[in-house]
Amino acid sequence: MTRRERVSSVTRAFRAPRRSQPSQRLQPLPIPQPTQKSAPLLLESLFDSAPESWIALLPQPPLSQHLPQGEVEVTDSALLQRLASIAGGFTSRVSLEPPDALLLEVRGSFQLFGGAQSLCLQLLDRCRQAGIELRWSLAPTPLAALALARAGGETIVLARDRLAGVLAPLSLKVLGWPAHTVARLDAVGVRTLGAALRLPRAGFAQRFGQQALLALDRLTGAAPEPRRMFVIRERFRAQREPGFELCVQSMVLQCLDPLLLELEDFLRTRQSGIDLLMLRLQHRNRPPTRIDLRLASAELLAKQFRELLALRLSQLELPASVQRIELRSGPLQPLVTCSESIWRPGEHGGAAGRESPALIERLRARLGSAAVYGLCLIPEHRPESAWGIAEPGVGTASVPRSTSSAMSRRPLWLLHEPEALPSALQDLRIVGGPERIETGWWDGREVARDYYIARDEAGAELWVYRERMPPHAWYLHGVFG
Amino acid sequence: MGQVTPDSPSEPTLERLLEHPAIWRGRSAARTATLGTGCRRLDEALPGGGWPAAGLTEILTARSGLGELRLLIPLLATLGRELPARWAAWISPPFEPYAPALIAAGVPLERQLVVRTADPAWAIEQALDSGGCAIVLAWFASTARSSGAARSSGAARTNKSTQLSALRRLQLATQRGQVPAFLFRPLDEAAQSSPAELRLVFEPSLEGGRLQLLKSRGGERRPLDILWSEWREPNLRELKQGKPERDVHDQT
Repeated sequence: MTRRERVSSVTRAFRAPRRSQPSQRLQPLPIPQPTQKSAPLLLESLFDSAPESWIALLPQPPLSQHLPQGEVEVTDSALLQRLASIAGGFTSRVSLEPPDALLLEVRGSFQLFGGAQSLCLQLLDRCRQAGIELRWSLAPTPLAALALARAGGETIVLARDRLAGVLAPLSLKVLGWPAHTVARLDAVGVRTLGAALRLPRAGFAQRFGQQALLALDRLTGAAPEPRRMFVIRERFRAQREPGFELCVQSMVLQCLDPLLLELEDFLRTRQSGIDLLMLRLQHRNRPPTRIDLRLASAELLAKQFRELLALRLSQLELPASVQRIELRSGPLQPLVTCSESIWRPGEHGGAAGRESPALIERLRARLGSAAVYGLCLIPEHRPESAWGIAEPGVGTASVPRSTSSAMSRRPLWLLHEPEALPSALQDLRIVGGPERIETGWWDGREVARDYYIARDEAGAELWVYRERMPPHAWYLHGVFG
Repeated sequence: MGQVTPDSPSEPTLERLLEHPAIWRGRSAARTATLGTGCRRLDEALPGGGWPAAGLTEILTARSGLGELRLLIPLLATLGRELPARWAAWISPPFEPYAPALIAAGVPLERQLVVRTADPAWAIEQALDSGGCAIVLAWFASTARSSGAARSSGAARTNKSTQLSALRRLQLATQRGQVPAFLFRPLDEAAQSSPAELRLVFEPSLEGGRLQLLKSRGGERRPLDILWSEWREPNLRELKQGKPERDVHDQT
C-alpha cells in the first residue's frame, strides 16, 4: 500500500456518517498487520519539531448515556482508572479526559513496541484481555485523536500536516462543543470540521468565542495543549478479622504484626516510604476507633510503625473489644535511605548520632504533634510576631551576628500573653529603656508601646512595657532569664 | 628484657587505675569528662573543669527566669556549631524561648526542639536515649507542683519518691547516652536528696549571679560570684577540655 493510498483510505473510512456509508463505519478498516516489515511509517513530517502521538481510548459502550447520573461518575471513573493503569504499561504520559476518554502520548514508546501499529495492536489486545471494548485513534494532537475516536475510531495519523485533511470531513459533534454552538454553526452551514477550519479566524472568534477558536487551534496542533498527567495512586490497604474478639491493646498489636510486615514488603518492593498510616479498629455496635499516625519523614520499617502504634495504643482506652482491624497507608513517598552508624550513640567515646526524626516521631506519637516544635525567626518589629513555631529542624538558618547585634537587647523568655502589672510598679526598678515599638495597622494588631528593662526585688530582669494609649497600663512581656 | 618493671605502661599501677573516670575518691576532684562553661572562674570551681558531659546537673533557683538560663547560653551556642547536628531539647520550659534573643546570642534555631508535656521525665528519657540530642534542658518545677496539688496531700510522699526514682532513671540515661542534661528545679527542693552529678543554687545579683555548689564531686565549696561580662562562648576545642586523654580501661 503506498502512502497516498493509505491516507485516502483512512480518509474515506471516517467520512461523517450521515453521508450514508453505514456499512463502512461499522466495519472499520483493518489495521495492516505488523508482520509487514516493509511498512515503514512514512506519514511523519519534517516540519514537526517536537512530534507527539496521542492515542485516544473511548471505552464502549459509553455508559454515561444509559445510567442515571449519580452512578455514572463512579463506574466510569473506575473504568478509566483501570484503563489508565493498563495504559501505564505502554507510556508514562497518560492523561484522563473525563467523563469518558483516556489519552496517552506514545511517541517515546514506538521504538520499544516496534512501531505505531504494533503498539496499538498490543495495547488493544491488553485492553480486550481486561474485558474493555474500545474505540480508539492515534493522532498528533490529543484533541484530534479524541475527535477521530469519537467519530468512529481506529485510525493512525502521525504527521501534523496531514491532520487537517483527515479531520475535514468529520462532523462538528465530535468536538464535544455545547449544543447551541453546534446549532449556530449548523445554521450558517458549517457542518464539518473542515468547514469550520476554513472560516476566517477573527470572525469565528467574535461569533463563537475565543475558547472555540483555541479548541480548533489545539485540534490542528497550531496551539499547544498542556495536559495534566495521570499519576497512578498506590496505597497500601489490608485488613484482618481474627476469629475472636480482641480486648487488650497487646492483642491488637499482635494481630497487627503480620499486616505491618506486609506493609513493609509492599513498600520495600516499591522503594518508597509513607508518612501517613491509618489504623481503624472496628467494634461491635460502636463507631470504629481511628488512629492516624503522621511521621516526620517517609518510613518503611515495620518495627518503627509498630513502636509508634504501640505508643498510640497505650494512650488509648478501647471502648469495646475489637472485631476487625484495618490498616491503610497514605500516599507513597520517595524514600531517601542512608546508612546507619555502626555504634550506638554513646558507645565508643560517645560518637554522636544525627538529629533524627525518630525522636520527634516518638514524642509526637505520645504527646500530639502540636506539643513538639521548633523555633523560627520572622522579620518583624513587634516582639510577639518576631518569632514563630516551625517544624523542628527547618528554623531560619542563623543570621550573621553582625546584623543581629545591632538590635537592642531582647529577653530569652517571652510570655505567651503579656501579663498586666499593677500600675504602681513599686517593686520594680527601671534599669533600661525606653525603646518605642509601634504600629501594625496592616494586620489589625496595632501596638504602641514603650519597652523598659526593669529589675524586681528578687533580682530578675524583666521586659515590661507601657501602653502609649490611655490608660497607659503596664505589662510584663518577657524575662531576661 | 624478661622482667616487667612495675611502672612499665603495660602494667597498670594503682595510681593509673585510680585515674579511671568511673572512680572518685573523697575530696579529690573527679576526673569526669566535662564541657567548658564559658566562664573561666566557674570552670575552675567545677570538678573536672566544666559542666558534666554526661550526667544530670540540677540548677536550683527561687523561681524561673532569674538568669539561670544565661549560664547555659554559651554552651548552647557552642554545641549548636558542633557537627553532626544534634538537637538541643527544651522540655516543658516555663515560658516561650524567644527566637530573636537566641539568634542574637548565637544559638542556632534550627537545632532547638521545644517539647510541651505534662510528663517531662518520659520526654527527657526519650531525648537522652535517642542519641539525637546534644543537650537536654528540662523544667521540672511547675509540673511537680501542679501534679502534687492535683493529688491529695497524702500522696505527696509517694510523689516525692516517684520523683526521686525518675531522677535516678534520668541520671542513668545520661550515662547511657553520654548526653548532658540540665534540670531546673525550685529552691525549696534543695533539701531533697538527688542522684544528680552536680547540684547548684543560683541567685541573681546586679550584673551576674552567685553560685553555690550543693553537691559535686570535689568542687569548690565557697559560693562563687560571677559577672556576665566575664562570660564568653567556649570554642569547640575548649569544649571537651576536661575529657581524659586516654581511657585506662581500654588500654588494659
